[in-house]
Amino acid sequence: MSSESSLFSHRWLPALLLAPLLLLIVLFFYVPVFQAFYWSFFLEQPFGGGSEFVGLQNFQRVLSDAEFWAATGRTVIFMLTASALAVVVPLMLAIAADRKIGMSYPARNILVWPKGIAGASIGVVFAFIFNPFVGLMGPLNALFPGLWNPGIDGTDAFITLVAAHVWSGIPFNFVILLAGLRSIPPTMYQAAAMDGAGPWRRIFDVQLPLIMPQLFLTFVLEFTESITSVFALIDTITGGGPGGSTTLLVYKIYVDGFRGFDLSGASTQTAILMVFVLLLAACQFYFLGRRINYER
Amino acid sequence: MKISTLATTVALLGCASAAQAANIEFWYGNTGNVEVAIKAQCDAFNASQSEHKVNCVGQGSYEVSMQKAIAAYRAKNHPVLIQFFDAGTLDLMLSGAVEPVQDLMPEVKWDSYIAGARAYYETSKGKLFAQPYNSSTLLFYTNKTELEKAGISETPTSWEGIIEAARKLKAAGHACPFVTDGDTWRVLEQFSARHGLPIATKHNGYDGLDAEYVINSTFAAKHLANLVEWRKEGLVRLAADTKAGNYTAAFNAGECAMMEQSSGSYAAAAKAFDGKYELTVGMAPMYKDYTRHNTFVGGASIYVMKGHDKPEIEAAKAFLDFLRKPEQQMSFTAATGYVPVTTDVLDVIAKSDVANSPKYATAKVGVESMNQPATADTRGIRLGFYVQFREVFMEETQKAFAGQQTMQVALDNTKKRGDQLLRRFEQTYKGKQLP
Repeated sequence: MSSESSLFSHRWLPALLLAPLLLLIVLFFYVPVFQAFYWSFFLEQPFGGGSEFVGLQNFQRVLSDAEFWAATGRTVIFMLTASALAVVVPLMLAIAADRKIGMSYPARNILVWPKGIAGASIGVVFAFIFNPFVGLMGPLNALFPGLWNPGIDGTDAFITLVAAHVWSGIPFNFVILLAGLRSIPPTMYQAAAMDGAGPWRRIFDVQLPLIMPQLFLTFVLEFTESITSVFALIDTITGGGPGGSTTLLVYKIYVDGFRGFDLSGASTQTAILMVFVLLLAACQFYFLGRRINYER
Repeated sequence: MKISTLATTVALLGCASAAQAANIEFWYGNTGNVEVAIKAQCDAFNASQSEHKVNCVGQGSYEVSMQKAIAAYRAKNHPVLIQFFDAGTLDLMLSGAVEPVQDLMPEVKWDSYIAGARAYYETSKGKLFAQPYNSSTLLFYTNKTELEKAGISETPTSWEGIIEAARKLKAAGHACPFVTDGDTWRVLEQFSARHGLPIATKHNGYDGLDAEYVINSTFAAKHLANLVEWRKEGLVRLAADTKAGNYTAAFNAGECAMMEQSSGSYAAAAKAFDGKYELTVGMAPMYKDYTRHNTFVGGASIYVMKGHDKPEIEAAKAFLDFLRKPEQQMSFTAATGYVPVTTDVLDVIAKSDVANSPKYATAKVGVESMNQPATADTRGIRLGFYVQFREVFMEETQKAFAGQQTMQVALDNTKKRGDQLLRRFEQTYKGKQLP
């Protein structure tokens, strides 16, 4: 530690360098967080005409609201399906790209590009791709009318959302996992191959255990990402419908707060969501993080 | 000597008027051809006089405009004039953030506004809170060319007639006889109003914040259940069933033959149909057993926000005066299809040589629709967190259209969730009285 602190000769210099960033974090993260927790104990009038302290009443109401639990349930389902796929699909791609099969060099490059696309743009594109008449499913729909329509069928809408999320998650997870695979010494495979392990055996017994730190990182980030970043996709693809089937918690908060002007209800749900995400990350670190061996 | 005196006087006068002049902002939410028309009015106002300048800022949608207004008001950075939509009326009345236009400009003849347009924006005691601006109401559009192709010579005016026509269209191979998006404003609010049905007790909330929804037990419930059945039969299509994915676009492109839509989309439909199809527009359809009442005014009105100094208020008044002028209302109507709602403008149009011009088609039928006999339940909607209620209604009824629950269950749920919203609104504004 002493060697690090001796990097800066002046005592205040590190603090000064950090100050602008800290200020931004405080202004745009901690202040709103505090405000959300504060409002969750009040009934707040939108235009600020007055507010009434109601204690835990907002929490009581939200926690006994079937819609809140339905949205939470959808959030958990989305978290499990979408983040699992958003790690597994890039993992398969990374293993393939790592094996020096044909086209793997250009693929390594091209697969990173979607990282540069904003969630909302991805949403617009996927809404088009999954359009029941002109999209990919159009020909199938012509054969079996009513087979696919995300505008009517909630399950179809949910699948569209998961597909868009997985696609948008590919670049980042792909890069992390590929980097992990590249850092495994080739001698390990060679030794395994010498001992008679086939390709699948080498994947499960050599590669996967050795990239556990990277897998863990992508899972932790995906779990938390899938809860919050899905907002842009919902807003552009489904708008929470049909029939609320894609209203995940983060979208419900937006609708209640900004479209319905229910600041207290939205704040209460924000507070609950925040605690949930923190607990989730803590659990992951507690139960999974401790089992991972970072040493090679 | 004389010249210098004159120069001083002019300079003094100039200073005086400069002190009174103000730059003010007006926020609106419309886009497309309506936005073009709004911008044109702002430019015309700025060109017509040099004392004031209004800066018109588009916010992209009514909802976004209201969100920003709330944030701006809390930051004391709000515009003087802002356009708000119908569903936000009660939130604004109780907000304490706006000055009723009738208090601000008692000299204006507010009586010239037709009753149907006034009632929505006035207090229970009859004081107008906002100046109606882009007023619309629900109308019935048909593609006459397609109807005639299927052998329907007379445009239907009742729901029974529409379904008969839809069956003929379907038999003639038409994929989309009648299209709707199932929007709350169209299928519930305007339907209830013109059939004289209440949406909530206490005359839709005009008589107190302790109202309760009744939508699950009026004839509207039967109509909504009919829509589900008709969709199964292939007579009614939802927006998501159409290739266009949007019901107005589906109608304008000729994909669907009939729709219920705001008068505000007349200009776009007429433009799209030009040379291809013949367009008819009439009052929204009734069930035969019911007497016709007025439809609600839709669209939006302009509010004056509190917390501004006198010159700014003067500028706001001047702009509102300008917008009320008959020629301004007429050009706005011609450009958009929105309905002029003052009797003086309607008189001017009636006496002019363009009275029967298609560009005023919606004015005549729209006003006729809003001028039908009123009851205490057809004044408007004065219910709290109403924007959220609209979301709940859409969510529950979409489930019914998708077959996940019956329409009756959907409406029972909507009432239950809606009543919870009303109770919370009542508590949020505890101690405040309806104006």
